[in-house]
Amino acid sequence: MKGQKRAIRPAQRKKILIGNLQAYSFLLPNLILFTACSLYPVIWTLKYVFFQYGGYGTGEPLFVGWENLARVFRDRVYWESVLHTFTYGFGKLILILPIAFFLALLLNQQKKGNGLTQSIIFLPTIMSSAVMGLVFYLLFNAYNGEINKYLMEAHIISQPINWLGKEHAMKTLVITAVWGGVGNYMVYFIAGIQQVSTDVIESAKIDGAGRLQSIWYIILPMLGPILKIILMLAITSAFNDITNVMVLTEGGPNNATMVMSLYGYEYFFPISATQASVPQYGYGAAVSVVSALIAGVITVVYLKISRRLDDIY
Amino acid sequence: MTGGNNGRRKEILQERKENRMPRKHRHISGADAAAGIGKWIFIGIMVVFTLYPILYTILGAFKTNAELTQGGHFLPSEWHFENFYQAFVEADFIRYTGNSILVSTAVTLLAVVTCSMAGFILARRTFFGKKLLLSLYTAMMFVSLGSVTLYPIYELLQGLKINKSLVGLVIALTGGQAANVFLVMGFTRSIPKELDEAAIMDGCSLYGVYRRIVVPLSKPILAVVALFAFRNSWNDYITSLIMTIAVPRLQTLTVAVVQLKYSVNAAAEWHIMLAGASIAILPILLVYTLAHRQFIAGLTAGAVKG
Repeated sequence: MKGQKRAIRPAQRKKILIGNLQAYSFLLPNLILFTACSLYPVIWTLKYVFFQYGGYGTGEPLFVGWENLARVFRDRVYWESVLHTFTYGFGKLILILPIAFFLALLLNQQKKGNGLTQSIIFLPTIMSSAVMGLVFYLLFNAYNGEINKYLMEAHIISQPINWLGKEHAMKTLVITAVWGGVGNYMVYFIAGIQQVSTDVIESAKIDGAGRLQSIWYIILPMLGPILKIILMLAITSAFNDITNVMVLTEGGPNNATMVMSLYGYEYFFPISATQASVPQYGYGAAVSVVSALIAGVITVVYLKISRRLDDIY
Repeated sequence: MTGGNNGRRKEILQERKENRMPRKHRHISGADAAAGIGKWIFIGIMVVFTLYPILYTILGAFKTNAELTQGGHFLPSEWHFENFYQAFVEADFIRYTGNSILVSTAVTLLAVVTCSMAGFILARRTFFGKKLLLSLYTAMMFVSLGSVTLYPIYELLQGLKINKSLVGLVIALTGGQAANVFLVMGFTRSIPKELDEAAIMDGCSLYGVYRRIVVPLSKPILAVVALFAFRNSWNDYITSLIMTIAVPRLQTLTVAVVQLKYSVNAAAEWHIMLAGASIAILPILLVYTLAHRQFIAGLTAGAVKG
């Protein structure tokens, strides 16, 4: 075999070449899009981290070395936005995961009505978070919104709550994120629960395990592997949520809901049509690279911890 | 023989009945009844929570602005169909709907074609640079610089002079599709290779194998790719916003709807906003009612493999 490989005849070489060309002819359409829309932007961003590059024709990009990155570490507003991202992500996970898990427990059997209920709960997942962000903007409006109207009619509150004000804006964002995400995670959990064999649950029942016991001792531990994937997806998605923040609160008021993805965006494009901004591409690039690193580090730490848990079980 | 069988069947039935009995008993017990009621209350709350904003949007599209802002009933007191006329004609939503349909269709087609070709060849052939490419695709799935990357893409499209047409938006929205390429690749691997070999024996070229064997057999996964490409492009906001910044008449529905928030008399146009929002969400709702099973199944397929 080895001898054959060494002495490649011209005819064989031609065959290999044709094989490669054929392969690339299949790959090319996707490869072009991948290069233009995934690879090139990342390289571009990594390059301009080291440049001062303003907008509106302020001239050529100027090499500034580590200056942009140093500025990121001094930027208080940025680190506040990192904190807001954690608050948002934590709030979202702590609500979504238990709700989704219980929905999955209640709806996983193939019973009449369960399929329909699943489809309804999943519905927000297919809807535009931008359009629904606008709808929530109207619903949560302090003076004319329906949420306050209903709450006041039910005498739960006496004064309208300023849902999009500094105090409550983050809560409002989390509520809308739960609305948009619960169906997604419910489906993940259902997929996980259906992998747990019913035999195990049945035999636990025969051994006298109650419903709660079988959830706690059988279903949850056996969900382990898929739970890890679910948590991972939940964490990474919380870092990337930007559309609903952009439409609902625009990062405001007064940066109260500024998350790190939106903070980087702000240096490239104005957040809303009513805001004007002078872009700073170099600094924006530095901000997004640091944000990506933070997200990456957290993912790696999470993976390490979850692997450690593996060893314990 | 038959008699004996019947006897056993009776026995089994009897056994089943006995098995069922205690379950019925348990159902009556107080704690369980409470759990049952609690279950339905919880599900009921979640269903109402989920449906309320959607119903608010669609019903609100038929109300007057005063009814919306000063607090009317859940159902419109009168059905104002002219809101839709206003949205479509005066707010120019006919154009935006057309743009959305055009863009989403093109993105769906492009995504399916490029992913299926790339996924097929990655599953079936080894070629020069394959390892490097695979690791680049994987790496790009984990690097998330977010919407910032839209700027270099925009610049690139500007350089190619396609930033002032929908072509640029279609390219930006389709993108590398790395996750979907892997999805198709995984699926293609599950198609027996013997089929390819048999076809090649019968004189099929590589293109023939792809077109006649692999594509027909990978329809389920291509449907998933198509469904999600359509959903993402129809719902997208930020990419569409940026790629149409220079030419507002190219805006898609989502962009146009959200821009109503910033219009001068936004406070007086809630009904138009909701009519616009309804126009934007109804097509995807329609797709969903037809294909909700595929949506839900596709999500798990993507999550487990991706």
